[in-house]
Amino acid sequence: MPRIDAHGHVFAKVTREFPREAGGNTPPEREETVEKLMTYMAGSNIDQAMLVQIGGTSVAQHAYLLHCLSTYPDRFLGIGLIPESAYGAPEEHMDRLSDGTGIVGFRLGMVGGPPDPFDAVDVRTFATYPIWRHAAKKDLVLWLYVRAADAHLIAWLVDAFPQVRVVINHLGICPGLGKGRTDRWGRPQIDIVPYNPAFHTTHRLSTYENVTMKLSGHYAFSKKPYPYPDLAGWHKHFLGSFGADRLMWATDFPWIYEEPGYDKLAGLIGETLPDIKPHEYEAIMGGTARRFLRFPDLK
Amino acid sequence: MTVVSGPTPAEWKQWEEQGYLVFENAIGGEMLDRLQQAFDHWAAACKAEWLDKIARGELAATYYDIPNVLEKDEVFIDILDQPRYFEYVRAFTGDDMIFIGEQVRTAPLWPMGYTGWHPDVPPDHPLHIKVQVYVNDVERGGGEFAYVPGSHRPGAGPYPRVKNLEAMPGHKRFPGGAGTAIMFNTYGWHVAMENHTGIPRKSIILTYEKRTPGKIDPGRYAHLAPWLNTPDRLRLFGMS
Repeated sequence: MPRIDAHGHVFAKVTREFPREAGGNTPPEREETVEKLMTYMAGSNIDQAMLVQIGGTSVAQHAYLLHCLSTYPDRFLGIGLIPESAYGAPEEHMDRLSDGTGIVGFRLGMVGGPPDPFDAVDVRTFATYPIWRHAAKKDLVLWLYVRAADAHLIAWLVDAFPQVRVVINHLGICPGLGKGRTDRWGRPQIDIVPYNPAFHTTHRLSTYENVTMKLSGHYAFSKKPYPYPDLAGWHKHFLGSFGADRLMWATDFPWIYEEPGYDKLAGLIGETLPDIKPHEYEAIMGGTARRFLRFPDLK
Repeated sequence: MTVVSGPTPAEWKQWEEQGYLVFENAIGGEMLDRLQQAFDHWAAACKAEWLDKIARGELAATYYDIPNVLEKDEVFIDILDQPRYFEYVRAFTGDDMIFIGEQVRTAPLWPMGYTGWHPDVPPDHPLHIKVQVYVNDVERGGGEFAYVPGSHRPGAGPYPRVKNLEAMPGHKRFPGGAGTAIMFNTYGWHVAMENHTGIPRKSIILTYEKRTPGKIDPGRYAHLAPWLNTPDRLRLFGMS
């Protein structure tokens, strides 16, 4: 069974060939190439990975991601982004990026329904409804890391589109307004409360067979260093609620290369779930991603 | 202190074997009117703060608890020792109980329940009793409380992690009118069922526990002293 890192980012220096937006931890001269990632993967016996677009939502800004996918088609799949300006009619953008390219889905940071949970709900009015509708039509994956205000709204769309494969990012945590910052290693940090709202929103999505959970992002949420013992109980809970066949391990490269290190994260599941059964371990470390995201056979 | 009234032998038996009791019309008349008015008033008054905390990732949107209710209206203290059920709390704790918390809760409509089946505390925890009081009518399929009778008993289970709440073996559902109170031993497995009625469920969940030394800080509720005007209330709040 191949071992698959189900989430991370690569990017090139800003050039005419590979245009992208620059940010605080992605300055124009920084590059985190796919070849560098492959070196880390080889060192930890990781075979394949999901590359999640970073650096802009336009088709042109996906150039480096598309380059990586076409260069190593049996090693990587991709997740794209959609500009908010295209949410109302996203079909052309989604098709251009996903038709035969290796991009198998799209990441969303919002849902776009009524913010008041007591308001009447009609999913057809949600800002991202056309995206879900097109994902259903084209069998695309939706990759969700949505703002806290929208956490409860995911369920309405999951309920409306049982045929859409959904991946909940980073332990189901939905970042709260004003809770993000960057640490001394340039890594995203999100302040979270211990009794987390996710317990009653995204974690409840285990009810739906078309939803999987990604075990990643610990470095951004934990108050403790690796192996993040304050979040170990979450893994145990997920194993009981989602089951290993709907859990995927990921590192969120490149943010973790320096701290705690790719090799350490490759051992995280063994640290946090020491009593896990071998077949469950294999599922979390690659089997689920291979089946749910349809990774190709290695050549 | 003398027990004025309380469980009949049959009710004792049900409590011990099944882990729950139901009190229809436990709250009624003027008391229920006061409760409903205070509930709606403070739910509206505090809603903006709740929505803000949802956006900041501090609270869930799938249930709404009015914060710090004891300081907001005396009716939220009066409900703690309503004799219809409080005499049972007294009896089951050996007349030695403390107040743990009060959740004044509205559950908005959502495609599923906001929690799965669960016990609150393990059986080696001091006896932990909840009383859930419906503030509006809660019909079957309206987010009503449900319990697995007997699941509080030592050696009961194991119970499956069911994705469909209705698939829990042996569970019993408790629809009821406004003012109905359901008392249960929280060692037992319970849940709020899904709500398909279109009407958000309003209820108040009172939590009591068998007193253990050091559990309650006498100073914690000192600011409420003017309203803790009976020996029972002072004891509940650890002030005597």
